[in-house]
Amino acid sequence: MTGLVIVLVVAVVLIAWLVGIYNRLVRLRNQFKNAFSQIDVQLKRRYDLIPNLVETARGYMKHERETLEAVIAARNKAQAAVQQAAARPGDPAAMQGLQGAEAGLTGALGRFFALAESYPDLKANQNMMQLSEELTSTENKVAFSRQAYNDAVMGYNTARETFPNVIIANTMGFTPAQLFELEAPAVERAAPKVSFT
Amino acid sequence: MNFFERQEEARRSTRRLVLLFLLAVVLIVAAVYLAVALVFTWAAEDRAADVWNPMVFAGVAAVTLAVIAAGTLYKVIALRGGGPAVARLLGGRPLPPNTRDFKERRLLNVVEEMALASGMPVPSVFVLDQEPGINAFAAGFSSADTVIGVTRGCLDLLSRDELQGVIAHEFSHALNGDMRLNLRLMGLLHGILVIAMIGYWLLRSQSGRSSGRGKKGGGGQVALLGVAFMAIGWIGVFFGRLIKSAVSRQREFLGDASAVQFTRNPSSIAGALKKIGGLPAGSRIANSHAEEASHLFFGNAMAKAFVAQLDDLMATHPPLAERIKRIEPGFDGELPAVDAEATSKLQLAAAEGEAAAGIVAGLAPAAARPAPVAAPRPPSPAASVDIDAGRVADSVGTLDQAHLAHAASFMERLPAALRDTVREPSGACAVVFGLLLDRDPALRRAQLDELRRAADAPVHAETVKLSATLEACPTEARLSLIDLALPALRRLSEPQHRVFRSAVERLIAADAKISLFEFTLQRVLLRHLEPHFHPAPPPAVAYGSLRAVSRQASLLLSILAHAGQAQPERATQAFAAGARHLADTRAVLSLLPFEQCGLAELDRALAELAKASPAMKRKLLGACAAAIAFDKRVTIQEAELLRAVADSLDCPMPPFLPGQSVA
Repeated sequence: MTGLVIVLVVAVVLIAWLVGIYNRLVRLRNQFKNAFSQIDVQLKRRYDLIPNLVETARGYMKHERETLEAVIAARNKAQAAVQQAAARPGDPAAMQGLQGAEAGLTGALGRFFALAESYPDLKANQNMMQLSEELTSTENKVAFSRQAYNDAVMGYNTARETFPNVIIANTMGFTPAQLFELEAPAVERAAPKVSFT
Repeated sequence: MNFFERQEEARRSTRRLVLLFLLAVVLIVAAVYLAVALVFTWAAEDRAADVWNPMVFAGVAAVTLAVIAAGTLYKVIALRGGGPAVARLLGGRPLPPNTRDFKERRLLNVVEEMALASGMPVPSVFVLDQEPGINAFAAGFSSADTVIGVTRGCLDLLSRDELQGVIAHEFSHALNGDMRLNLRLMGLLHGILVIAMIGYWLLRSQSGRSSGRGKKGGGGQVALLGVAFMAIGWIGVFFGRLIKSAVSRQREFLGDASAVQFTRNPSSIAGALKKIGGLPAGSRIANSHAEEASHLFFGNAMAKAFVAQLDDLMATHPPLAERIKRIEPGFDGELPAVDAEATSKLQLAAAEGEAAAGIVAGLAPAAARPAPVAAPRPPSPAASVDIDAGRVADSVGTLDQAHLAHAASFMERLPAALRDTVREPSGACAVVFGLLLDRDPALRRAQLDELRRAADAPVHAETVKLSATLEACPTEARLSLIDLALPALRRLSEPQHRVFRSAVERLIAADAKISLFEFTLQRVLLRHLEPHFHPAPPPAVAYGSLRAVSRQASLLLSILAHAGQAQPERATQAFAAGARHLADTRAVLSLLPFEQCGLAELDRALAELAKASPAMKRKLLGACAAAIAFDKRVTIQEAELLRAVADSLDCPMPPFLPGQSVA
């Protein structure tokens, strides 16, 4: 009888401990998901600035349609990618999709700004200056929130991989989370074209 | 009853709660034993066997107690995270402080306003996205981990005024010390609820096994045991609700009354209650943990019991109609049906309209609302505030509509760039750094150099950009800016927080002469931020009399006396004025010379004084106010210092309204 009681008590304690581990993993997973929501806020702000930027530039860069269209296209692609990632934060496929789309957008914006160098009127435009200032500031905020997200992902992945958590994690469906890293832009920033027209 | 009396009462309620809990445990052990004995003697066909078997009783008691203890212990540990742990349990999603969704922005504005008006740091806000009903809760052990949660229905369907009413109700719980009691309740009672969960699990496991085959003897017994456990578990639920009802039901009326007192607008909370009445989903919470947290909610979260009379006994909340009648005596019982979709669209339009009209904060225009009382221009730093030392302690933990108007006007006067920046995690860091910069240009340069080494380049750049605006920031805005920055700072990751903390320490070290005020600002900041990253239980009350902390009290009063008076004799008199307030506390007080008043010691002293009982804290605050108000000329800076000291003692003090005496 005593033996049974002891076994039951031990079983209860063991279950409580296991549930504790499970809850810790849930907490860490929620942490990186919440951190992703910050990235979402900042990226949305960045994407909202771009159409205004392109419209301002369109009046000055009348013959640079391709570059402008490329920026808009890259932005739309990135917007779709961030929605996908927001639905499944940390999922490797979604995060890699977002990384690729963001890299594409950064590349397109880089080409855009390099081109804008040759339009001094555009550079002097108040609206343009304000927008590019806001864009830089938003990109800083994106970087900050990305750092926070990656910290949270590292915390989760580390906890997930240690023993004995790893047993619980694998049986309970805690998949590893993917960091949000910056890919090198597909195309190096083009050297500014010097035009003598 | 004032703040301190309510805190004392909450402590007494905790003791009552523990006794009721122990009683319930005894009854449950008896019930379990009875169930086991009956089930097994009945099944064993040996009717002649004795129902009473000491060995079995000991075994059953041990196991039951172990289960209850494990359940309680588990929950108490799980709730160590405080408010955020509860919010996560209920499926809450934290709202980003820099959200751009109109409805979310409106809710956050209302919460910010209420926090500033009460002198509390702005709490984190969570949304229960899966809940269509209208309900809200406040949870946390202290003001550092306070969380306000609202349901999706609340966010979608309530007007700004009604939101303010609900938030005011929740804040009153936060300010009354109810939250700590409620969390303890939740932890303790979980052990009792666990039995029901076990019964449910037993039943589930048996029904799966015996569905394909005939009931064998063993399976039938276990299933019966499962049913018995569920029945016993229901007893546990019954006792749980009874206890909660005894401890917390009256507080709901108090919460409603406080909401009316804070907003001076009875229709705000009455409107919210009526909408709950008119909505099919009402205030019900669908989440499986609703039972555990039922006493935390604004409205009744559980469906009605089968038997109406039991409902009255067990409900954690007074009936809706009664609550409305208490606020609106003329209430006729009519609860117009609420069309969720139409109301939601209406509120979205309203929120967009408010945003477009630039009503960032501020009471929404309402014909019945009296015009805000706040001064149109910020007072000059030399302007003085009237402080009645005898009654300043009574202002703690309360607020009224004038404070709300003051907070609203503060938010509107705040430069938009600063307002947006302080809600961003990186921006909040920059604002805090900026507030710690010295006025002296040489020192400031040294500090900024230090900052460049200690923090990220963009944050450093932002600090430099903000430094001019922040330098012009009036004194009374500084504490409020810290309160506003806290939600964004809580969004930092652990490593980012470490960098932030170390940068703050280095900035202060680089500032060779830190002022008392800067010291208290830093203390308020760290005191409210640390528990988020390193949860620690709030300090328990350790001192019933100030005698044991006489040295610390002397140090505090001495520092306040020296800070306010230039000449030593005046300082002595100021100290004496403060000491008079503590004459009946058996504290041994003596003025410390200026050289011995170090800030590091003050830090430690305040930490100890925070463990004093509420009654002693009240006297202490009265003494501090007397020392400051001794020369009848209290500058804004001194008043803010008093507020910061009150914050260090866990006593939220609302801002001082310029030119008005503290009543």
